[in-house]
Amino acid sequence: MMRLLRLLNGPHDLGQGRAFWSGMALLAAAFLAYPAIASSFAASNVAYYLLNIPMALGLSLLWGYGGVLSFGQVAFYGIAGYTYGIVAGNFQDFAWGTAAGAVAALLAAGLSAAAFGYFVFYARVAAWIVPILTLVLALLLSTFLGLTAGYQWRVGGIQLGGYNGMTGIPALQIGGVTFQDYAFFYLVAVVVAACYIALRVWVNAHRGQVLMAIREDVLRTELLGYDVRLEQLRAFVLASVLAGVSGLLYVQWGNYITPSAIGLQQAALPVIWVAVGGRDSLLAVAISTFLLNQLSYVLSSSGNQSALVIVGGLLVAVMMFAPEGIIVGLGRARWLRALAPWRSAVGPGRPGHGE
Amino acid sequence: MLPELTSVLYQFGTNAAFLLLSALGLIVILGMMNIINLAHGEFMMLGAYAASFAVHRGIPFPLAIIAAFFATGLFGIVLERLVIRRFYGRELGALVTTWGISLILAQGALLLFGPYMPPIPIPGGAVSVGVYSFSVYWLILIGICVVLVAGLTLVYRATPFGLQARATMQNPTIARSLGIRTGRIYMLTFGLGAGLAGLSGALLAPTTSIAPYMGQQFVAPAFITVVVGGGANVIAGAVGSSTFLSLIETPVSLALGTFYGTMALLVMALLIIRVLPAGISSLGARLRPAIAR
Amino acid sequence: MASDAAEPVLRAEGLSKRFGGVVASDGIDFGLRRGEMRCVIGPNGAGKSTFFALLCGILPPDAGRVFLKGRDVTHLPAFRRVRMGLGLTFQTNRAFHALTVAENLETARRASARSDADDAHFRAAYAAFDLAASARRPARELPHHQLQWLEICMALRRGPDVLLLDEPTAGMSPGETMFTADVLKTLSRDGLALIVVEHDVAFVRKVAETVTVLHQGAVFAEGPVEAVTRREDVRQIYLGRAREPAT
Repeated sequence: MMRLLRLLNGPHDLGQGRAFWSGMALLAAAFLAYPAIASSFAASNVAYYLLNIPMALGLSLLWGYGGVLSFGQVAFYGIAGYTYGIVAGNFQDFAWGTAAGAVAALLAAGLSAAAFGYFVFYARVAAWIVPILTLVLALLLSTFLGLTAGYQWRVGGIQLGGYNGMTGIPALQIGGVTFQDYAFFYLVAVVVAACYIALRVWVNAHRGQVLMAIREDVLRTELLGYDVRLEQLRAFVLASVLAGVSGLLYVQWGNYITPSAIGLQQAALPVIWVAVGGRDSLLAVAISTFLLNQLSYVLSSSGNQSALVIVGGLLVAVMMFAPEGIIVGLGRARWLRALAPWRSAVGPGRPGHGE
Repeated sequence: MLPELTSVLYQFGTNAAFLLLSALGLIVILGMMNIINLAHGEFMMLGAYAASFAVHRGIPFPLAIIAAFFATGLFGIVLERLVIRRFYGRELGALVTTWGISLILAQGALLLFGPYMPPIPIPGGAVSVGVYSFSVYWLILIGICVVLVAGLTLVYRATPFGLQARATMQNPTIARSLGIRTGRIYMLTFGLGAGLAGLSGALLAPTTSIAPYMGQQFVAPAFITVVVGGGANVIAGAVGSSTFLSLIETPVSLALGTFYGTMALLVMALLIIRVLPAGISSLGARLRPAIAR
Repeated sequence: MASDAAEPVLRAEGLSKRFGGVVASDGIDFGLRRGEMRCVIGPNGAGKSTFFALLCGILPPDAGRVFLKGRDVTHLPAFRRVRMGLGLTFQTNRAFHALTVAENLETARRASARSDADDAHFRAAYAAFDLAASARRPARELPHHQLQWLEICMALRRGPDVLLLDEPTAGMSPGETMFTADVLKTLSRDGLALIVVEHDVAFVRKVAETVTVLHQGAVFAEGPVEAVTRREDVRQIYLGRAREPAT
């Protein structure tokens, strides 16, 4: 246990020490108390900003810590969502039906990532090929699902639904609890916190070291005796399962899923959240994902069409002028650290890694 | 028998032409700078937009295409100077940045020009062989592909720019020490790649609807062609890859439909990279010593 | 005695490699016995780095075979050879700058599930190079010679049978170079087989028993260090005049 706590407080993310963790505990408490003061609608929105965090954390792991860029995490988000819809929908009359759907969703995401990743990582291709092929995967998947409008496109009793997608997806039920409204909010908050903690321990532990070693110098890592292909595949599957977690939460949130959740614009979003926050810090990525989702929502609900232009512009600006990420930049800025009493180790992230 | 054979050949030719046109600009840039321009689809869109704009102001289509080439090429040069050249040596960074640019361009086009541009009517008519009818325009496009490849080969082999470009591709450090202005070569290459993308977009504009996100339909085929072709030898990679992939895609499309044809391309790419991680164009490097003996 | 007449622990037969029109390795035969310390020398462009890469498995040969402890490893990827008992360091230093010294060594230690590593050589080197004092410092803060020593310790961490070092003393002061030579000589006496690719003649004279001279991708001369380095034709190839070995 002590060892886990030590790993949790390790140097490979922003913030260590008592002050920092007290602050984090306060933040967690604030989120858990939020439903008491907020309407169901507001809580649902905040839940939406939160539920994309696992996918972003996974991409941060893969790209920021591992140096492997994937543009296709949304594909696994979608695979998990659709799989849940199919399995839970077919078995919803059983008490364990939706739970089985959740398990099936994550398995589907993981297995498809393993199959795809095997071809990509065991081929030892140049670095730029991975983002291209993962993007193509997401594109083809979204196109495929858009073609499934006909009645023959169903699994069991559930229609895939073509462009209109799958609706009426049943909410997750475990024990007597149906995860809707406030219950869903708590589910998201707990899942996101658990993912963050687990990943933070992971990156400070041995497997995380290996991933960072691969990011820094593939050949050296290989020549120490590591099977680099396997390590990269492992990280890829983990990131994809995390994307699947987000997808699973998404279909709980809206009880529907459409192919546009996997399309070209959607594929860009995780990369933007991660790049803008600072890809080699899990915490920065969690924060930026939350804030950028909130920004997009605020923009689009006020009728502003330029959300994508703004976000695209933000990406270009960050890549050109603050490539380590805005939040990471703030977190490591000396003047800011003088104000606030948290320690931040000089971590592994510098421009030039994973680029 | 002859009509069926002609039809299959036609399909093969048009698929290959589509792949080549989609990928050519991308490969030119990749081969020189090892950068994948994710705004490539949007450059094609810009070319189509420029052509539509010109055509609907009375400019004849062939001239509109040339205008599209230069307009997009110029835009590419400006973009290279402002943004791209900060990312040499940082390929993934360039990739992500061009992605942001593609978002800005596509969504910007939507906001500025609305959901559709006026379409360009497809020139030429149709030609019949047996019960099959073939579009004259597509036959022209196949011919244009041949001209483009020949033209590019001429540029790379017979012009001073081409020679300097090939030297820079092989070894930029030595090229620089010989006095070649590699910065200018990169700028011109990016402009050429962008211009070719715009040209392809303009050429393909009559075959599709001209809309802000029209670049998307070319993205998957273009990227697959580039992955299979590789950057080692620009022209050999482009031609070899599009020909080879069309050989796979055509029968699958004929049997199962266009989507499955594209799916077969992805599967093929995954298989090819296992055998040739650096793409088809790297075969040349492997074969040359054997021939030299 | 360090060398015995048994099967060589590392052996190459007819290793050849071309890059385009350039013959980088031309039918190299090579054998290293347990506890032997061999230096591979030769003028620039002789093919030392290519030979090194072929032995490790970074490059696949066009022809020829590599045997490690009697097993044909020619078609094994590099990481499998390392797991079988090969340790390497590089010409340009490649420790992980983002990790601490301790983390670098820990990463080296846990490269595979094998837990019965013999780390006697490692412990000797670690103590001799006195790296414990810097255990918690990020590698990027170390001075150059300590980074080189860290790399050697990383290569030794899992108790390899053969250590391949590519110019381990490049950039070191004469004092540091000689100290490194002493440490390596001690390891060799304790039974480690070593191949060192080197330029520094003083280092070679101090450390090696036998040298292999490479020239234009082929083995030009091989034998006891004193005899070979005194040969006129060997000196000539460094000056660019000799083409064939004198018989």
